[in-house]
Amino acid sequence: MTPVAITPRLTLVQVYAIAKNTFKEAVRSRIFYILLAFAVCLLLFSFVMGLLAIGSLRRVILDMGLSTIAYFSAATAIFIGIGLIYKEVERKTIYNVLSKPLSRSSFILGRYLGIMTVLLVNLVAMTLVLAGVLASVGAFTARIFPAVGYIYLELMILSAVALFFSSVSSPVVSAICTVAFYLIGHTSSSIPSFLVPLVQSEFAKRALLLLYHVLPDLNLLDINNLVVHDIATAPGFAVRGVTYTLLMVAVLLLASSLCFKRRDLV
Amino acid sequence: MDHVLQVTELKKSFRGHLSIGVHHVLDGVNLSVPKGVIYGFLGPNGAGKTTTIKILAGLLFPDAGEARIFGRSSTDRSVRRRIGFLPETPYFYDYLKGAELLAFMGRLYGLSPSQLSRRVPELLETVGLKGQGKLQLRKYSKGMLQRIGLAQALIHDPELVILDEPMSGLDPIGRREIRDLILSLKEQGKTVFFSSHILADAEMLCDQVAILVKGRVVQEGILEVLLGSEVRFWDVTLRGLETFSPPSGCSVLTHRGGQVLVRVESEETLQTLLDKARAEGASVRSVMPHKASLEDLFMAQIPGGGT
Ligand SMILES: Nc1ncnc2c1ncn2[C@@H]1O[C@H](COP(=O)(O)OP(=O)(O)OP(=O)(O)O)[C@@H](O)[C@H]1O
Ligand SMILES: [Mg+2]
Repeated sequence: MTPVAITPRLTLVQVYAIAKNTFKEAVRSRIFYILLAFAVCLLLFSFVMGLLAIGSLRRVILDMGLSTIAYFSAATAIFIGIGLIYKEVERKTIYNVLSKPLSRSSFILGRYLGIMTVLLVNLVAMTLVLAGVLASVGAFTARIFPAVGYIYLELMILSAVALFFSSVSSPVVSAICTVAFYLIGHTSSSIPSFLVPLVQSEFAKRALLLLYHVLPDLNLLDINNLVVHDIATAPGFAVRGVTYTLLMVAVLLLASSLCFKRRDLV
Repeated sequence: MDHVLQVTELKKSFRGHLSIGVHHVLDGVNLSVPKGVIYGFLGPNGAGKTTTIKILAGLLFPDAGEARIFGRSSTDRSVRRRIGFLPETPYFYDYLKGAELLAFMGRLYGLSPSQLSRRVPELLETVGLKGQGKLQLRKYSKGMLQRIGLAQALIHDPELVILDEPMSGLDPIGRREIRDLILSLKEQGKTVFFSSHILADAEMLCDQVAILVKGRVVQEGILEVLLGSEVRFWDVTLRGLETFSPPSGCSVLTHRGGQVLVRVESEETLQTLLDKARAEGASVRSVMPHKASLEDLFMAQIPGGGT
């Protein structure tokens, strides 16, 4: 056998192989099914809640269903993401992989694409259950599909954040940082809408707005409330959300690669 | 190109806990490995063998000096197409089956699925894991993991094979099989670089060795030249003597029940001893010449190793 040349095609094959292995790792682990089973139970439970609640059945199921999907998929993303790089180094399985003609950036990218595939499968499964529950009470709406689409965009960012932390620190630290990112991301939009009108000084207003712009804003990707209350999204919302996501992911993957590039794997 | 692997003045240090203190692990390592030889990289625990090998595999970056493989830097990933690497006590994805692992590793080398469908069963057989390819790696024994590790190192038919302690975890039969495998790699014209502290294996296999002590190579070269062909001493067993005073230059090792074991260091003394023994009516039971062994060489290089 003559050694294959290092071509873009080889890189694609390698990234695909890493992603596929990442996928296998997740679907062969118990925790993946536990989280998924939990989410499915809650989705079915939303049906019972809907029957008991006073308001509209459709609204309760949609509200509870979409939140369940959002929280459980975020938990799965963080859970898998924080171990993506760290665990490979810790368990020394990375020695076998990185001693191959594979660049470290390809490894990072493959791990990322792998977790995104896992999350896609997970999300599709949960969405089908929600669609089934809604259909069973005659309240199916196709707007759950864009809603979970936006959830997936958020997962893309969250996984990239978790992966980044995983390439520089331990799972505990990564988990704390990623959860902090998630919480900040979901509260930062209250700075311009709530905090800024409250303060008097012009300087403080500007400082707060500046702060808002450097903080992540995950509510840019959240249309669950709009779907529940049957309100249309503003024009340009989708373009802005997708651009925001892609930029964030690109920056985070690049940062992970740079941190990982010259690291000693001891 | 004369050397497949050339390491010059390689240095590596690790920071201590909480970045306090610096531990110099490699202190200017020099090695040259010619094409087609079996090269033993020997040294006591903690000498820096694994550290050196991890630099060769591109897992660690040296502080100074360089390792060139096929004339290119070890940090250049294109050289890794031509290297097979077995890490020390290999760790694998335990959720994969044996054959899946080999296929995965093969894909990273760019082998096509059709090449792999031929190569994987062939290799499983070569390393003695025939029929075990469908078993999950978490169910493999230590020796089986070592074997699958060797198989993944050979999957792409590399020109240079770097093995960190290939014999560890193997029973005597397994060690023999791996020895035979290494010899067959040499017959195929490949270069094998392996670390070991099982000196008997190394002595049987190696054309050349380097002995690493505390991050420096203290001996390197062709095994026969290093050991020399001269006899270092003779052990003579004499019988039928109640008392015996040996000529000068001899030392009596044991004297029990009329049987004496004497060690002689030169050929003239040996003759003197034999003449004297016969004159005193003793019978000569045996004369054993001893050449230097790898163990002697090894021990002589290690502080506190004795003679
Ligand atoms: N990551 C690390 N941080 C600090 N010290 C390290 C690190 N890795 C290795 N060392 C130290 O470097 C020295 C050499 O280790 P190395 O694993 O290279 O030895 P070795 O020759 O392979 O030994 P053995 O025969 O036991 O496998 C040891 O003293 C070890 O403690
Ligand atoms: Mg070692």
